[in-house]
Parts: sequence; structure tokens; C-alpha cells
Amino acid sequence: MSPGHYLALSAILFTIGALGVLVRRNAIVVFMCIELMLNATNLAFVSFSRMHGNLDGQIIAFFVMVVAAAEVVVGLAIIMTIFRTRRSSSVDDVNLLKY
Amino acid sequence: MTSHVSAALAPGGDIPAPHIEYGQIMPILLVLGVAVAGVLVEAFVGRTWRYTVQVPLAFLGLAGGFAWTIVLGLRDETHAVAAEGALGVDGPTLFLQGTILILALVSLLLIADRGTGSFAAQAAALPGSEAEQRTTAAGIIQTEVFPLLMFAVGGMLIFPASNDLLTMFVGLEVMSLPLYLLCGLARRRRLLSQEAAVKYFLLGSFSSAFFLYGIALLYGYAGSVKLGDIAAEAGRDAGSETLLLGGIALLALGLLFKLGAVPFHMWKPDVYQGAPTPITALMASCTLVSAFGAMLRVFFVAFENLTWEWRPAMWGVSIITMIAGAVIAITQTDIKRMLAYSSIAHAGFLLTGVIATSREGLSSTLFYLAAYGFTTVGAFAVVTTVRDAGGEAGHLSRWAGLGKRSPLIAGVFAFFLLAFAGIPLTSGFTGKFAVFKAAVEADATPLVVVGVISSAIAAFFYVRVIVVMFFSEPEADGPTVVVSPATAAAVVLGLAATVVLGVLPQPVLDLAGHAATQMFVR
Amino acid sequence: MKAEGIQAASWLLVALPLAGAAILLIGGKRTDKWGHLLGVAMSVASFGVGAAMFVQMLGYGAEERRRTVHLWDFIDVGSFTVGMDLLVDPLSISFVLLITGVGSLIHIYSIGYMSHDPDRRRFFAYLNLFVAAMLLLVLGGNYLILFLGWEGVGLASYLLIGFWQHKPTAATAAKKAFVVNRVGDIGLVLAISLMFATFGSIGFDQVLGEGAEHAGLASQLSTGTATAIGLLLLLGACGKSAQLPLQSWLLDAMEGPTPVSALIHAATMVTAGVYLIVRSAPIFEMSDTAQLVVTIVGAATLLAGAIIGCGKDDIKKALAGSTMSQIGYMHLAAGLGRTGYVFAIAHLIAHGFFKAGLFLGAGSVMHGMNDDVNMRRFGGVRGFMMITYATFGLGYLAIIGFPFLSGWFTKDGIIEAAYAKEGTSGIILGSCALIGAGITAYYMSRVMFMTFFGEKRWADDVHPHESPKVMTVPLMVLAIGSVFAGGFLVLGGFAEFLEPVVGKPEHEHHFAWLTAPGAATFVLMLIGAGIAWRQYGARPVPREQPAGSFLTVAARKDLYGDALNESLLMRPGQWLTRLAVWFDGRGVDGAVNGVAAGIGGTSGRIRRIQTGFARSYALSMVFGAAVIVAALLVVNVA
Repeated sequence: MSPGHYLALSAILFTIGALGVLVRRNAIVVFMCIELMLNATNLAFVSFSRMHGNLDGQIIAFFVMVVAAAEVVVGLAIIMTIFRTRRSSSVDDVNLLKY
Repeated sequence: MTSHVSAALAPGGDIPAPHIEYGQIMPILLVLGVAVAGVLVEAFVGRTWRYTVQVPLAFLGLAGGFAWTIVLGLRDETHAVAAEGALGVDGPTLFLQGTILILALVSLLLIADRGTGSFAAQAAALPGSEAEQRTTAAGIIQTEVFPLLMFAVGGMLIFPASNDLLTMFVGLEVMSLPLYLLCGLARRRRLLSQEAAVKYFLLGSFSSAFFLYGIALLYGYAGSVKLGDIAAEAGRDAGSETLLLGGIALLALGLLFKLGAVPFHMWKPDVYQGAPTPITALMASCTLVSAFGAMLRVFFVAFENLTWEWRPAMWGVSIITMIAGAVIAITQTDIKRMLAYSSIAHAGFLLTGVIATSREGLSSTLFYLAAYGFTTVGAFAVVTTVRDAGGEAGHLSRWAGLGKRSPLIAGVFAFFLLAFAGIPLTSGFTGKFAVFKAAVEADATPLVVVGVISSAIAAFFYVRVIVVMFFSEPEADGPTVVVSPATAAAVVLGLAATVVLGVLPQPVLDLAGHAATQMFVR
Repeated sequence: MKAEGIQAASWLLVALPLAGAAILLIGGKRTDKWGHLLGVAMSVASFGVGAAMFVQMLGYGAEERRRTVHLWDFIDVGSFTVGMDLLVDPLSISFVLLITGVGSLIHIYSIGYMSHDPDRRRFFAYLNLFVAAMLLLVLGGNYLILFLGWEGVGLASYLLIGFWQHKPTAATAAKKAFVVNRVGDIGLVLAISLMFATFGSIGFDQVLGEGAEHAGLASQLSTGTATAIGLLLLLGACGKSAQLPLQSWLLDAMEGPTPVSALIHAATMVTAGVYLIVRSAPIFEMSDTAQLVVTIVGAATLLAGAIIGCGKDDIKKALAGSTMSQIGYMHLAAGLGRTGYVFAIAHLIAHGFFKAGLFLGAGSVMHGMNDDVNMRRFGGVRGFMMITYATFGLGYLAIIGFPFLSGWFTKDGIIEAAYAKEGTSGIILGSCALIGAGITAYYMSRVMFMTFFGEKRWADDVHPHESPKVMTVPLMVLAIGSVFAGGFLVLGGFAEFLEPVVGKPEHEHHFAWLTAPGAATFVLMLIGAGIAWRQYGARPVPREQPAGSFLTVAARKDLYGDALNESLLMRPGQWLTRLAVWFDGRGVDGAVNGVAAGIGGTSGRIRRIQTGFARSYALSMVFGAAVIVAALLVVNVA
């Protein structure tokens, strides 16, 4: 398979992730969709790395994983707190701040 | 670092140690070191002593970093890359880092001020729960805010200094993740604060996903994430245009989100309103400076040959940002929210300086950032002082007649508002003037016309607040003004900078001009 | 040339009242006891400095009277430097003397007038602030400093109109003044930007040249650019000087305390537009169109103001209409070019004296009449306040152009200069000015008769009495000025004094005691005053306002200026607002102006985009990303 196919897959995954952020209500699921976008990016990095024949992209993928892990820690902490206060994890319920 | 990877692949070869110029990047290391030390303090120092240890530690870290930055700036050769080309140490970077550090110091005054008590005693405890009441009764206030602050400032220092996009991404995250948490730490109105944190987090990570995909596309285009390599590749006019343009757009999205440019601004009012005010002050000043630094570096270095491609889009963003920020602010009723929209409008003004892509554009943007940062920190510091039973009195109607109750505070706030409006003899005027002048010289006169009109619109709501403060009768149960020494110091610093940069701006203009002489290193 | 001696310290002029304002505002209640005295002292001290500078200037030859003071570099970015520069020349010193002189008198008067006001200290702080800003405006050596003063006087005027903020009308009037002035200010800012773009400089030295003999960059302007800059400057002048079409705020501004109306809205600030045009003379001289528009605006306003003055029963509003009208004369003169500048400034100074005197006199009457302003409830006051009557009378004779008083010298000069303009435009403009003089005589006589003559019409609980000395002495001084200032200026060589600044007129103008326009003016004046006597002097004035003719009703309604504003700006604005916030019951609070309402409505509408739902924010980001990507691709393909 040519790297182009992987890039297409990466773009599709990224789009699915972005759409998921737009249509899902559960904060956890929204967050998972963002993670999906990050991983789609990883796939793109690795494919480009292969196309260019250098290792930069693969190294970057590791960095992204680390950052994503840190993001999970922070994100779950925030979502947990608000869930405990509100007894709901729907992102549509948090809309006191508006206009 | 990555360039050594292929060399290291030879079997049996030594692992070459990267060459790190510790002296050049010491401000960053110092701040991050203090952050790590702060975590250790949280773990090992007794609860009663933590505050007493954390505050001086954070203060020393920031002040030390600032001093070191000055020393670096005083040397002759401030135009180099450090850490294997990952970080640039050049005039603009040092100016930005110095600005961030000094503004962070002022914000630290607000954050460390226990008199106003902006932060939750125990963020993990449920609001109103027994656990929370117990901690409050015991007078315990957790101090995790200090290491979080230091990590965030560390990220802010890396963000505009990073010479390749990977470092920039890491800097972005190191800056953003602690800020997400800090937003949720407000003591009063916990629901709003937590909501701000959730929104900021979800939208922030959404935008960094786009930012990252932009990096991926640019990497696909150039085969490298170094800003200089991307510029070189774009200069050769080879490779896939689609990858390049898509990369520029998504990268710009990530940066514009952090600046709060329309239509990526929507987090800003909500987060500024919900977050604890000292954190809002930090975000409105330091984060903006840092994000603009990164923006300048990316657009001045990596995309310098592509101005014709990205300019029209940025024109549009700048115009809509200036207008929308000013227009929406008019009907705001919450002070912090109004200041957030004002900050959006200012981001639009600043973008005109970026669009100028000239040395004047760079130096005027640097000056504007410093000037605006001080004014905005001062303004938010004033917001923390006007309080009633439920904490800060955020609603504009509560500020009615403040000029009678506390003429000094109201007068100072009015002065800050006039500075935001860009009245001459305030720093806001000098900054706007410099930026608009650079834009005119770069043939962006229509932008300046829009900017002037937008400033005129903006003057309405700044003056509206002044009218409310001075021309309406105070309510019987109006808020009281509580000024503790640390907050007073922050207000005075903001005021002094706003006056000095308005009346005698020359030294700082010279400094910014000097910092910009050699532009960015690559 | 660099300033020496006391002129080098001309910054003191600004610094003294500014210090006064700062001390009074920061000092707060502690300074209540002596605050008003400090305010007066600062203003008088400023006058002293100004007078000393004037004496020093008289010692120089005509060519050496233009002196600059460079205080510090304000902004220095690259090729472009703006200094904190002051310019002392015959034009600016004339204004300095007027501002500090009349200003000091009004300060003194205010001690008495505001004696019962708990906020008297704040009042004096604002007055001092105004004097400082106004002096900065006229002393500024480049357009930026001028603009700084321009904004400063706007702020002070705004604060003072709304001084009695407990009156909702005062707050609204302050807001209206601010909004309308904002429109003018945009004109000024754009003019300055355009100058900067054209000349690369905004200093008077570079743009306007160093005196009339050393032309600046303006002399190389193309007609188109000169017209554009000129018209934008005129827009700024119209806002500040209440000229058509930005006149509507001045009548409402009478909500402020009367000394404010006298100082800011009659004698000094509203004349800043005239100063701007005369100062920028080299630019206007490059464009006939711009000059013509200035004269048209002046002529239209002088008639409109006079007609409005005829219909008002509120003594201050009648005087405000008169102010509009007189400033219209000054604009008319300023638009006539070199023949007119001297008369514009001479009339401005003379007007400063008699109009300040009239306003303060009106204040003195109001002071004795329980702060009533309705002339239909005055009548026969002269027996109770002789000094006010006498001084007001002299001011009245001066403004209607009674021979040998101030107005006669200066206003007739303007009328003659207008007739001297070549072509039909000269005849039309001159006739407008002539008719205006007749109407002036009518409405001022009306004010005079309704207030001081006839039988008493006031309520029983009103006990008219003469004002204290502290108020009447300034009245007397101003009355002396009303009598002699014009003659002193016209006969005393004011034209030669100003010549180094505004240049020599094309045809030498010689003062003549009797001219055809002068005689016509005199006859019209008698007719106007006679009609007023028939209507208001010879028969009793009804206490209630009669229905009145079509023109009277129109004049009472400010010639439908507000209605016009309303239908042109406010209605569409409100309509837009309603459309915009039709799903939002709250609307926009107290929008005074259609543009503001329109923006407010738009604001109210688009803030709704911020729904509070994180997902809709994300959607807007995706949308923005799509647009940016599309924009980049389109630009690149195209």
C-alpha cells in the first residue's frame, strides 16, 4: 500500500474525530474524539516520515503520545470534578456562561 | 535533537550527547525547575508551611528568570539558536520572555494575595460539601496553584522561543494544560469556574489537534518541522501546494485560537468570566504575549515567502476580530466579560502589526504587547478589589456610583479603560499608533481605517463603564472596595507602566525597536 | 525659532491648571474648604504667564514672533518623530489670553454661582482640567498634541455637561454630546492619518510651514488630497463647534451649570473648530472646494442657529442658538481665506467676551429667580438687578452690532469680507450674513425684552435679587470687553499682529467707518429689534407658550434637527435594533443616537451567537478553519 492510502485514512480518522466532537454530548466521548484526532495526526506523521525517508515524524509521534497522555490526566480531572458537582457529564448542560 | 537520530542508528556507535546552551535558555530552565521544586514542596513540606515556601520560591523563580533575561539581552550577540536549534534566543524572543516574566510577576502578586481569596480551599472537594466546609473551617488553602502557575509560565516562555514546530507544540501544551486546571480553581461561583475549565479544556485540545494536524501537513510538505527548513522549502516552490496551504491554515487556527481571534474567540469571554480573576489576568496578559510571540515567529520565519498567500485570509480575520470584539462588547453587562471582548478587539489590532510583516510591524507589536499586558493586568487587579458578599461584584450594575464610594479605585479603572480606548498620553495610544503606522507603511491602510472605526466603537463601552461609575447613584447595598497591599502593588505597577508608556514611551519603543533589528533567528 | 525667557516655560500654562485639577481630584474631600480658591488661583496664574508671554512677544519683530518649545520626544518610531511640541505664535497667544482671561473671570464667578453646591470642588477640578486641555489644544505644535487637547476638552465638556448627573436630562445630554463629538473626532483622526500618509509628518512646522512666508509641505498638495483632508478637518470642526450637520448636541449641552455654558459652550471650546480651520489655512488654501464647503456650512449654521434662537423660551437655549449662529459667522469668515481669517479670530475673541457676559448674566438672573430658565416667567427683572441688567444690556448691544461696540466692528467686517468674495457666491454668502444680522437683532432683543422689561410674570415665591459681588465683578469686566474688545482689535492692528501666521490678504483691507453693507446691517438691525419690540416689548408676553406660526414651531424644535437625526439615523437604527433583537425583549438601554442604537442592536444580536454550548463553539472553529483553508486555496489558485 502506498503512503497515500495511510494519509487518506489519517484524514478520514481526523474528520471522524472532529465530527464526533461536534455531535456527541458526553464530555468523555467528546474527549475521546479529540484523542482520535491526535492519533490520526500520529498516523499522518508516521506516513510522512516514511515518504520523506527520515525519522522525524516517528519521533514526533512519540512526543504526541506523551502529550496526549498528559492531556488525559488533566482532562479527566476536570471532567470528574464537574461531574461530581453537576451529576452530569453532558457538555450541553454546562452553559451558564454565555452571550 | 532529531537530526542526530540517523547518525545514532549506526550499529555500535556512541550516542552523541546533544549540545545544550544552558546559559542561553536558563530563564526557561529556572522557571520549570522552580515548578518541579514546587511539586516537591507540595509533597514534602507540611501543610502550614507550604504557602510560606511556595510564594517566595515562585517569586524567586520568576524574578531570577527576568534578571537572567536582562543579562542575556545586554550581551551583544543575541541572535543564536540553542538546544540543537530547537529554541531561538534572539532579540524579539528575549523581549517577549522578559515581558511574560514581568507580567507573570505582577499576576503572582494577585495570585498570592490571600486577602482577596480568589482560589478554592480544596478544588477537589465538592462545592458545599462537608469536606469543603471542614477545610474552610480549618483555614486550609491548598497551594497547588503555584507549581501550576510556574509550569504554565514555563510553557509560555518556550512557545514564542521555539524554532521548530514540535517544540512549539510541546510549549503550547505545557502552557495550556496547567491553565485549564487553574481556570477551575475559583473559590466563589464554583459552577462557573468549572464550566470555564471544561470549555477551555475541550476547545483548547480541539484546537491543538488542528494545530498538530497543521504541523503534520507542513512536515509532509517540507520533510522537516524546523521553521527555517519550511521557509527554505517554500522558497524553492516545490512540493505539494495543498499540503502547504492546508498546513498554514490549520497551524494558524491553533495560534489564532490562543489569541482569541474571531471566529476562534468563543472560549475567551466564557473562560475569562468564569476563571478566578488573578488567572484571568495571567491569561489576558502573559498568554496573549506568548501566543502573539509564536504567531510572529511562525509568520515571520516559516511563512515569510508566502505573504501573498496568507495575507488575504489574515486581513479578513483581523478585520472581523476588530469589529466583532468592539461591537459585541457594547452590550456586555459583566465587567470581566466586557474586558474579554475588549481583549478580542485588541487581538485584532495586534494582528494588523503581524500582517505588516516588517521590522516596524514586529517592533510595534512587541511594544503593544508589553503596553497592553500591563494595562490589562492592572484592570483585572482592580476587578478583584470590588467585592460584595458573594465575592467579586462582576455585574456592571453593581459598579454604579463606584466613583463616589471609592474615587481612587474608580479613577484608576477609568484610566485603564481610557488606555484600552487608546486615548493619547496612555500606553494604549502609543501602542495603537505604532501598530497602525506600521500597517499603513505596509500598504494595509484599509485595515487601519477599520481599526480606527473599531476604536471609536470601542470607546462607547469603555466610556459607558466610566459613566456608570461616575454618573450614576450608588446602590445602598453596593459593593465595598477591599484593597490589600499585594493587589495594590499590582494596580500601581499596571498604572505606572500605563502612564510611563503613554507619556514617555521612547525608551521602551527603542528597546522594542532594538530587539527587532535583526528580526527572528532561524 | 526656539522660545526664550518666559515663553520657554509655556508648558506652565498647561501644567498649572492641570496640577490644580489633579490636586482637587486626588485630594478629595480634604480640599473642599479651599478647593475653589486653588482652582481660581491656578487659572489666574496661567493668565499671568500668558500675559507675560504676550508682552515678551510684543518685544520681538513680526518675523520673530513664532517660537517653538520642544519638551520631549513623544513618539519616535523609525523615520517618524512626534515631539511634545508647543507653538507660541500670535494666533496661539490670542487664544491663550482669551482662554485664561475669560476662563479666570468665569472661575471667579463660579465661586458665587456654585456656592451652594456640595460638589463645588469637583466642579473647579473639571474647570481647571478644561482650561489645561484647551490650552494644550491651542498651544500644540503638531496635530497630535492638538488632538490630545481636542479629546481633553471633549472629556471635560462631557464631565461638566453631566455635572448634575442626578438630572436624567443632564446625563442624556452628556451622552449625546459625546456621541456626536465622536463622529467629528473620527473625521479629525482620519484627517491626521491622511496627512501622515501624505506628508509623512504631522508637525505644524513641516506640514504648514514656519509662518506665512515659509511654506510647508501643504503647498505642494494636489487639489484632491487637499479637499479630502480639508473636508475631514471640517467634519472634526463641525463636531466640536456645533455646526451643521453635527449641531444637535449644543442645545442639550445647556443642561450643564451656567458657567460651563459660558466658558465651554460659548467662549472657548466650541470655537476650537474655527481655530482648527484657521490654523490649517495652508491646507484649505490649496482647495477651493474645501473652502467653499466651509463657507456654506458657516452660512447655513448662522441662519439655522439664529432661527432656533428666535423660538426658544429657555434663556440659555436661546443663547445657545445664538452661539451656533455666531460660530457660523466665524466659519464663514474662515472659509473666505486670507481676507477672512483676521475677522474670524477677531469676532471669536469679541464673541468670547460678550457671549460669556451674556451667559453669566443669564446665570445671574437665574440665580435670582430660583434657577428658572423660562423667560416667559421672567419679565421686569431690571429693577431688581441693575448690574446684571446693565452688563447684559451692553453684551446685548455688542452682539446685535450696535455701532462702535465690539460686534459692530467684527461682524460687519465678516459681512463686508463675504460680499467682497468674487462671483455670485460672494453675494449669496454676504446676504446670508446680512439677514443673519437682522435675525440676531430680533432674537436678542426678544431675550432682552422678555427678561428685563414688561411686567413681572414670576411666581409669588420668587424673590429676584442682585447676585453677590463675586459674580457681578466678572460681569462688569466682561461688559467692558464687550464694549471695547472689537474696536481695540480692529483699529489696534490685530490684522498686522496675525499677519505672520495667516498671511497677507490678497487685497489690502482698510477699515472704513461707513460702508454700504455696514449701513444695510444697521438698518436690518433696527428692523429686527423693532419687530421684537412690537411683539415682546410693547405688549404683554403670555406666560404660556402660544401656538405660534409654522416657523416658530420649527425653531422651538431646533429646526427639526433632532427629528431629522431621528428619521435619518435613529429610526433605521431602531428598526435595525428591533429586527436584530426581536427575540430579545431587553433591547438597548437609552441609545441616544441611531448609529449607536444600530451598533448596539447588532451587538445584541451577534452576542447571541455565543450560545454557551461548547459544541457550537467548536462548530464555529471548524467553520472558521474551513473558511481560512478555502481562502488560502482560492487566493493561490486565482
